[in-house]
Amino acid sequence: MDGILSLSNVGYCYGSRWALRGVSLEIGTGEVVGILGPNGSGKTTLLKVADRILEPDEGTVSLKGRPLQAYNRAGLAREIAMVPQENHFQFSFSSLEVVLMGRFSHMGLFQFEGERDLEVALASMEAAHCIQLAERPIDRLSGGEKQRVLLARALTQEPGLVLLDEPTSFLDLRFKKEIFELLSSLSRERGLSLMIVSHDMDLSARYCDRIILLYEGKVFSEGTPDEVLTARNVEAVYGCPVTVDKNPATGSPRVSII
Amino acid sequence: MTPQDTSQSSTTIPVRSLTAGMVVKVCLILTGLLVLTALFSTMVGTARITWGQLWDLLLGNGSPTDPARLVIFRIRLPRVMLAGLVGFSLSLGGVVFQALLRNPLADPFILGVSSGSAFGAVLGIMLGLGFTFGIPVLAFGGAVLTMYLVLVLGKKKIGMESSTIILAGVIINAFFTAIIMFFIATAANDRLHTMLFWLYGDLSQSRFAESAIAAPAVIAGFLILYCFARHLNVMTAGEEAALHLGVNVGRAKLICFLVVSLVIGLVVAFSGLIGFVGLVIPHLCRMIFGSDHRLLMPASALSGAIFLIAADTLARTVISPSELPVGVITAFLGAPFFIYLLRKRGSRWTGS
Repeated sequence: MDGILSLSNVGYCYGSRWALRGVSLEIGTGEVVGILGPNGSGKTTLLKVADRILEPDEGTVSLKGRPLQAYNRAGLAREIAMVPQENHFQFSFSSLEVVLMGRFSHMGLFQFEGERDLEVALASMEAAHCIQLAERPIDRLSGGEKQRVLLARALTQEPGLVLLDEPTSFLDLRFKKEIFELLSSLSRERGLSLMIVSHDMDLSARYCDRIILLYEGKVFSEGTPDEVLTARNVEAVYGCPVTVDKNPATGSPRVSII
Repeated sequence: MTPQDTSQSSTTIPVRSLTAGMVVKVCLILTGLLVLTALFSTMVGTARITWGQLWDLLLGNGSPTDPARLVIFRIRLPRVMLAGLVGFSLSLGGVVFQALLRNPLADPFILGVSSGSAFGAVLGIMLGLGFTFGIPVLAFGGAVLTMYLVLVLGKKKIGMESSTIILAGVIINAFFTAIIMFFIATAANDRLHTMLFWLYGDLSQSRFAESAIAAPAVIAGFLILYCFARHLNVMTAGEEAALHLGVNVGRAKLICFLVVSLVIGLVVAFSGLIGFVGLVIPHLCRMIFGSDHRLLMPASALSGAIFLIAADTLARTVISPSELPVGVITAFLGAPFFIYLLRKRGSRWTGS
């Protein structure tokens, strides 16, 4: 598999506590990878190390075969984008202005957004189903609307890899499904790689090519949803009894709490 | 109907994004207003000067012994120019600090630059130094010293955290204020008056030489800061978001902090502490021009210049032939206005 991102033996330490330790993994081009694990298992730290918000204390991260340190911030932003769980805006920008912030790394010092920047931004908003919000101020949107604007902003960076930190936690059932559908079609059509941190096992099982289950900062299990989401694994990691069967409609594993 | 019209879908999105043309247009209009305000301010005062007189004198006509010439070139124009430069800088500094600290209540003095330069100035007054050289130099020195202390105190392992920086500023502010109070308590009466005027901002001592020193620094500062206009836009979304979007946050922050503090330290050394300009004008401009710093920065700076020239004109005319410190006028106008703004639109700035 030709990978876009590869972590080898990565460790990150907050003070004296290792949030990640000995993590090695590979994200393939166009691959949708779900990161699961209980609270405090290192999921968010993993995303931050992957985009060099945090420098790992051990091991190396490389992007397209080059170490992350070889990229400057703008160069990195053209390759990796992030959809945060929440983004708090202190000042009022329109949604379109927020999405256009995704063009930052593509523009020169004194440049104003040109036609192409606007085209990319509007196409991203179209893809994230939020174009009707373009003129609305970002601080007046609902959680779900805001989330779609943030997704559009990430797509506007034209990255090869998008990191998502619980992108659907504020969304209702329909939008959750919509976002996951959208993400998996983006990855199929554009060869976009995705790393999705989520607490939603059913959606992750259905839409991810591969699941990485983290536990206490280490990779506990890794593989297809069928291989990883077994009752034994989930019980061991989350410490609560579950049953796993197949969803009759989709055929993907379904985890239920007993 | 053109072919483009027919090809568009039924839900046409009115696409607006800031263009260079819009920025230039707004700047030209505000510059025009600035020139008018400056000319008007030059005319009013204890000695009235007419349009005709002003026009003749500015064009170099008229008799060289005309007392109006002295009033205009020695007293009013230097003062108008310095007021403009100070207002420009304070308002620009306010915009930049509000964005950097993601705090709509930040002003250019929040890092304690004001108390540092006040300490320097009050020390200078105590020592009996003059307004020509000694006091400004000590005031600027005090500002640079505070800035250095704040940055050293606020610097942590990963860059500089905004809350740490603000805290460091507050602490240093408190410390210098204590020293200033000590000086005030022990000062002789005649010096006390000078100190109080300095602490409230006073432009009555302005001379051309001050503007000649301040102008290049202010313009250079503006140009450097304007290079970071888009960085500031992105940084209002938060530091982590800005990193993900490709901003070298640590570098941008350090350069902006330094440039703003140096420029503010310099103009404050000549003008004393003029409050509220750096807080109210950026807010007002955000309401009118939006949050995009490529437009907001020049618009706020020019509006700040206009506002301070107007305020200083009031300061020297309301109780003429006596004068008020200009900071009294800015606070007197600024505070009620700010309360009105907070009541009306408060929730939009606090983000709620």
